Amino acid sequence: MTEAATPLKLTLYVAGQTPKSVAAIRNLERMCAEHMPGRYEVEVIDLRQHPQLAREHNIVAIPTLVRSLPVPVQKIIGDLSDQEKVLVHLKVED
Amino acid sequence: MTTDPARAGEREAELRRRLDEAEETLRAIRDGEVDALVVRGEDEDEVFALGAQDSYRAFMEAMDIGAAALDAEGRLIYANAALCELLGHSARELQQHGIFGVLADPAGSIVRDLIREAAAHRRSRQMALPCRSGQVHVEVTAAPLSLGFGEGVALTFTDVTERIEAAAALESDRIGRAIMNSSNEVVVVCDAAGLITHANAGVRQLHDGVAIGQPFDQAFPLDFSLGSGLISGTDLIDVALAGTSVRGVGATLTLDGRMRDVLLSAGPLRRSGETIGGCIVTIADVTEQRATEKRQALLMAELTHRVKNTLTLVMSIANRTISGAKDLPDFRTAFARRIEALAATHALLLEGGMGRLTLAELIAAELAPYVSVGSERVRLSDVDVRVTPDTAVALGLILHELVTNAVKYGALSNDQGTITISTAAAGQATEIVWREDGGPTVVPPEKMGFGQTVIARGLGQSAAQPTQVSFRPEGLECRMFVPTDQISAQ
Repeated sequence: MTEAATPLKLTLYVAGQTPKSVAAIRNLERMCAEHMPGRYEVEVIDLRQHPQLAREHNIVAIPTLVRSLPVPVQKIIGDLSDQEKVLVHLKVED
Repeated sequence: MTTDPARAGEREAELRRRLDEAEETLRAIRDGEVDALVVRGEDEDEVFALGAQDSYRAFMEAMDIGAAALDAEGRLIYANAALCELLGHSARELQQHGIFGVLADPAGSIVRDLIREAAAHRRSRQMALPCRSGQVHVEVTAAPLSLGFGEGVALTFTDVTERIEAAAALESDRIGRAIMNSSNEVVVVCDAAGLITHANAGVRQLHDGVAIGQPFDQAFPLDFSLGSGLISGTDLIDVALAGTSVRGVGATLTLDGRMRDVLLSAGPLRRSGETIGGCIVTIADVTEQRATEKRQALLMAELTHRVKNTLTLVMSIANRTISGAKDLPDFRTAFARRIEALAATHALLLEGGMGRLTLAELIAAELAPYVSVGSERVRLSDVDVRVTPDTAVALGLILHELVTNAVKYGALSNDQGTITISTAAAGQATEIVWREDGGPTVVPPEKMGFGQTVIARGLGQSAAQPTQVSFRPEGLECRMFVPTDQISAQ
């Protein structure tokens, strides 16, 4: 397991206030605070307001978290409730 | 065709990554880890929520507003329970016949027009729908609706019957009050217990106090005429509450010590369901009308009597003139003068109705055909007082009868009799005394003739006290009492 030197650039795609969108936002906030303090940049995009932004990362299912940096791009689909799986996807692979 | 092994490896890795991503997406959807999908449209992408349909459906079913979704062709996709109940059909029947299959015209046409107008914007209209209990008033709203497979229409039916009925009731109440208040008659509404609940402004003509809240017979103490079959105001209320209308019942109303003639009408107040919740009573004050009628009757009888009397007087004047005439030309002159004086009396009396006369003028006019006012046979004292037109007519009638009687049987039927007329204050009234002396001995009549009726009652209600007539053997005496406000010094 290697510590990522560059900050993580994360984009969370949600659909308004659907239960899983709300859960995903809360789960991500908690993980960032507990495990990646100061090493991340997060943007939350509401696709109900801006559906056209789905094309950039070819989003099909909501919620989806995209790690655009460091490359390669990683996608994690779901409400991010499986914290271990999320952390593995975000940090281990580079 | 050759392939760069390195590029082929990259391409395979990319395909594998995309396959993994696709499989991950499918797994996430299958496992319920997502609750919305992005669907790529021709122009723009759309977001659809998953799994929320049931909760929306439950919400729609719980609404008390009728709601339906129609496709672009007007076919029913969904109707909630409230709409099924409103239209009186089950959901299955609605699905089978469609909404236009159960909406009879004109309702069906109205909804079709509304949907056409609502192609771009929401539109609403009120209409009546037949239902089991008659009809309901609904506000129908049509709005464009995006469906998963295309465009459609959302229809809602809001029951506004209560609102419309409340507005109609308010309007009826307002009209009812306006009618009540525009009536010149007194109009009161009583509840089933006979207590007054409403009264119009006219009630103040009769009632100084507060009538509302009082039992009807206490607020209006009535005495009914015998022929009416009613004994008290309570009887009248009971008749109306039993569902019978009565009209024009005569009665006398005594309030604040004043008696009035009234005409009453009463009828039941029917509420919804034809139950009788109270009654409406109208009271018309006909005191003036009755007094006028009585006066008219008296005047008619007086006219008849006076015509007869006038003929008798003419005969009497003719006989008296003949007995004193030297020859025919002398008779003609004297007779003509007396007849003219008689005519002048009538003219003066007629004018008396127009302006104020003095008592002296009245006396002079009445006596002129028979005797000169300046002669010793007529003595006047304090008669230069003016009288109101009504009193002048009344006094004129009485004086005429007194003079006629005097000419026929009393002080003016011989050559010696005298008449004394005087006035004097008597409390709130002025007493006018007519006294005869020196005529033939007076014998009280066995029955009261019309002339005496006129003398006794001629002043009617305007008299301060009843007129007193004494048949003294030496001559008749009549004492009349006129209220001071009807008479004034010169």
